[in-house]
Amino acid sequence: MPYHGDIPNLIAQTASRGPASVRAAARLMSIVTDHPERVATMLAGATRWPQPRLVLGITGAPGSGKSTLTDQMAASFRARHPDRLLGILAVDPSSPFTGGAVLGDRVRMMRHATDPKVFIRSLASRGHLGGLALGARGVVRIMGLLGCDVVIIETVGVGQSEVEIAQNADLTVVVLAPGQGDSVQMLKAGLMEAGDVFVVNKADRPDAATLQANLLNMLKMGWMARVDLYHEELTCHGPQMLVAGQSADGGKALSSIPDLPLDAAAPPPVFLTSATNAQGIEPLVDHVESRAARDADAWRARRDTQITREVRDAVLESARKRIAHLIGRNGTSQATLAPVLEGRISVDELTDQLIRRALSDIDTTHRIQPT
Amino acid sequence: MLDPTPKARVLIGKPGLDGHDRGAKYVAQVLRDAGFEVIYTGIRRSPEQIVEAAIQEDVAGIGLSLLSGAHNVLFKRVIDLLKERGASDIVVFGGGTIPPKDIPTLTAMGVKAVFTPGTPAKRIVETLDTLLAQPA
Repeated sequence: MPYHGDIPNLIAQTASRGPASVRAAARLMSIVTDHPERVATMLAGATRWPQPRLVLGITGAPGSGKSTLTDQMAASFRARHPDRLLGILAVDPSSPFTGGAVLGDRVRMMRHATDPKVFIRSLASRGHLGGLALGARGVVRIMGLLGCDVVIIETVGVGQSEVEIAQNADLTVVVLAPGQGDSVQMLKAGLMEAGDVFVVNKADRPDAATLQANLLNMLKMGWMARVDLYHEELTCHGPQMLVAGQSADGGKALSSIPDLPLDAAAPPPVFLTSATNAQGIEPLVDHVESRAARDADAWRARRDTQITREVRDAVLESARKRIAHLIGRNGTSQATLAPVLEGRISVDELTDQLIRRALSDIDTTHRIQPT
Repeated sequence: MLDPTPKARVLIGKPGLDGHDRGAKYVAQVLRDAGFEVIYTGIRRSPEQIVEAAIQEDVAGIGLSLLSGAHNVLFKRVIDLLKERGASDIVVFGGGTIPPKDIPTLTAMGVKAVFTPGTPAKRIVETLDTLLAQPA
């Protein structure tokens, strides 16, 4: 089946879910990752695209078992929903020296490679910091258009501060393995704050139970600290003074304390898994599914906010480019900027002039077009 | 730090039953160092798995490594499957212990390059640079 290269056609083919949809979706993904300047075209109307029910992030240090866990969770989702599509987006690092990359996550997922209900895409980070790759969000959206019910995003092996996944997934699973650090490591900011769910993988190792115990302690302490801060705010700035947890009006004020935000209602759970032996996977997926059922509405609202932000960025970028074009490159901008450099007009006045010129350029372009 | 702009995406896979992946991994490493994005799919893959992966990953080329002697059959199957999926624009090349007498057969079925043992890494990169040159 020949595919047609223009974006609206590829979108239509992807949405058709026919035999050519996989190739069309794959081409669209290349456009969002290779040609960020064309993403703006794609975004128009993207809010009406079908979205995945669940976007699950899997992150953790290199070698903690993210790919194997992703593979096992994918198998579990497939068994639970045999008729639904599953998308996997796996990010691996690019060489900062040559730009090349070896994307090897598929090796651990090859049993899904001929499953027509599983779409796997590997992305290289291409110098993007944060644990994901440029265009990752667009790839997830295209997986939604293709009809994926669940999308699993596996990040590059991260250190402490690559937590971009938390803004891009509905639910983030942080994978740890025994032997990666003591309890002080766990107090540090960043990755340990980004997890909604924690997994201690390689549970067959002897020190896995210790890690789980340390982790539970740390998460509980962190949670209590947050609850404390939250209530302190209420007691100090709320309408009624609370003294030592007791209300001055005999309990009425206590019941007026609103519920804690959803994600702070309990410390994040910790699951023990041994991904290579397929152990501990089902309780983990049970938990993820129950969160998906409970929080679906809140997640949808958050995704809408993300799209709004993206379109806003795209509009700003488009405006920036048009003005930049008028100013000219570094070497040729001297003449345009001279009035400001010589103090004859202000930066604001020049900006006004450039905006006016950008607008009249558009008029001229329209006028000289035949018909 | 250099500007990390990748060249084309390439899939390196081993169809069939031999488990000798040293050559495939070496070529994957060479291509990585030459700036390609290499999707490595591991040993003992079926042509169906390789073609499906190539389409989902939207690669420009597929490199098949094979030391079992089944190249005439398996290379052909990959090329036929690509045709079925409307993806004949994906360049197929190969390597491994392939007797020189078989190379014309492979070329005739559409394999664009065959790298036998001893091929200098530089020649592999130069050949792929030409075969996979992307329109800007």
